[in-house]
Amino acid sequence: MPRIVSGALLRICLGVVVAAVLAPCPALALPAAGEDRTVVQYDCIPNYANWGGVTALYKQVTGVTVPPDPKGSSVAMAALEKEKDNPVADCAYYSGAIGYQAAQKGLHQPYKPKGWEKIPDALKDPNGLWWTVHTGTIALVVNTKALGGARIPRSFADLLEPAYKGKIAYDDPTWGGTSFTFVYGLNELMGGTDKDFRPGLSYLRKLDANVSSYPRESIYNAVLRGEVPIWINADGNGYKMKYVDGGPVEVVIPAEGTFTMPLVMGLAAGAPHADEAKRYFDWLLSAPAQAEFAKSFFRPVVAGTLPAELAAKFLPDADYRKARALDLSKMAAAADALKKAWLDEIRGTGR
Amino acid sequence: MWPLVRLAAGAFASPGAFLQVLAAGRYRTSLVNSLALSTAAAFVSVAIAIVPAWVFARERFPARNLARTAVSLPLTFSGVLVGFLVIVMLGRIGAVPKLAGFLTGRELFAGSAYTLAGLFLAYLYFEIPRAVMTLEAAFRHFPPELDAAARSLGAGPIARLLHVTLPYAAPALYSTLAVTFSASMGSFGVALVLARRFTVAPLEIYTELTAFLNDAVAGALCIALAALTFGVDRLFARRAA
Repeated sequence: MPRIVSGALLRICLGVVVAAVLAPCPALALPAAGEDRTVVQYDCIPNYANWGGVTALYKQVTGVTVPPDPKGSSVAMAALEKEKDNPVADCAYYSGAIGYQAAQKGLHQPYKPKGWEKIPDALKDPNGLWWTVHTGTIALVVNTKALGGARIPRSFADLLEPAYKGKIAYDDPTWGGTSFTFVYGLNELMGGTDKDFRPGLSYLRKLDANVSSYPRESIYNAVLRGEVPIWINADGNGYKMKYVDGGPVEVVIPAEGTFTMPLVMGLAAGAPHADEAKRYFDWLLSAPAQAEFAKSFFRPVVAGTLPAELAAKFLPDADYRKARALDLSKMAAAADALKKAWLDEIRGTGR
Repeated sequence: MWPLVRLAAGAFASPGAFLQVLAAGRYRTSLVNSLALSTAAAFVSVAIAIVPAWVFARERFPARNLARTAVSLPLTFSGVLVGFLVIVMLGRIGAVPKLAGFLTGRELFAGSAYTLAGLFLAYLYFEIPRAVMTLEAAFRHFPPELDAAARSLGAGPIARLLHVTLPYAAPALYSTLAVTFSASMGSFGVALVLARRFTVAPLEIYTELTAFLNDAVAGALCIALAALTFGVDRLFARRAA
């Protein structure tokens, strides 16, 4: 074959491959002319709180695309702050304290979506800078097949036993808000305060002996496969593994108690598609959207929207009575100091 | 150039940033770790690369092109992907522990992906191909007469490698060390996925930016990392010349 032909062929093949790789990627797909039907949400992890299902349903109902985004809460807030002069995102989703902090930093503009009055007062900002879309509870998500003979841990004290060496993970709290909620709440549970982190850090130092990693990406699938047997994370992620993905997974509320975590959203200051985002927010509080979140076992913030057959799959209320609410303003104020302390004492000292 | 200027401006605007970076603690540890890990990865990968590079440069054998492609493949992987590959092999339920469990009844090396050894292996995984490619190019220029002369004087293959080839190739070895060292110093994705407590400088830069928006310290760390890399590269370059 003449060389020139094979070169052209090669180029065509390469073109086809590149096109095939890029085609299914919604972020790169060019919008049709005159169309601007996108809402950019920072922290929109498909496996977390069923954002994948919720955004797909929204697309189906309205034709508006909300692309997935892998940032954790803290990274989402940092990105908003970095892009303050030239905003890219319309909104962000965070665990409560980080959203509170972002609002304080002036990264949000006020908006009160339809259904505002149905959100309990403690779970929203009176000025509409942030509000809760659903709540989770910190729990132990346990892959029972991956425990290698060890029994299912029932408490934070159990987790320190040598049987769990290398079997525990919790996300890097400087990356994700869920894990930050865990670290902050744990410190309170162990007798610390928003100024004194020693009790919590002292427990986490002991726990470190059993921790395999402090991931900075979603390890949902790794837990489901058994690469990580015990994940300290939101209860809903564990229920979803068990009931939706059929994994050998149990959710355990630790005997000592645990913490609830409001998951909040806010309209970004200078949002490029502000009107589109507002319609999206209105819809997120509607019964169908709230029920869609509930499919991943995050509790809807709007009362009465949790379908009965899903409610029956949660652990009994007796377990959930051990969950306490945390003071978001204190958490937000302690956030940077606690993250630094965690880095210095748990992660960063090198080994 | 503009981003560099802004970065430096951010770092120098708050003079405390450099002191923080150089004071004992997380930042300095990360720089020392980066230096140690990258140096070790450079020397080990170059040592391992010598023989395959020599073979690729000098020998003709069937499937040579296939073998070369296979060796260079890891260069096309991003660091994050290499990190996941190491987890697939050496994670808690990785292929190696499963195989070991099947053969010996004990799941050896389970979870070693997350240890310093796992991180080091990942670095080797993408540095060895780099070293092979760089060295191969240098070995190609090796004059065959030298080898023939040594052979006619009765030198065996090992003696020829030690006394003729390597001294002749010394500059190429040093510059290959520099190339692999610099690449390791800047590598980020692998450590992002694998590093548990062992921290390297690019990871700290990422954390400062994303978790704390601390431009000054992040900039100072960048400059310190660049200076360190440049300094060591100069050392290698001087040996090469």
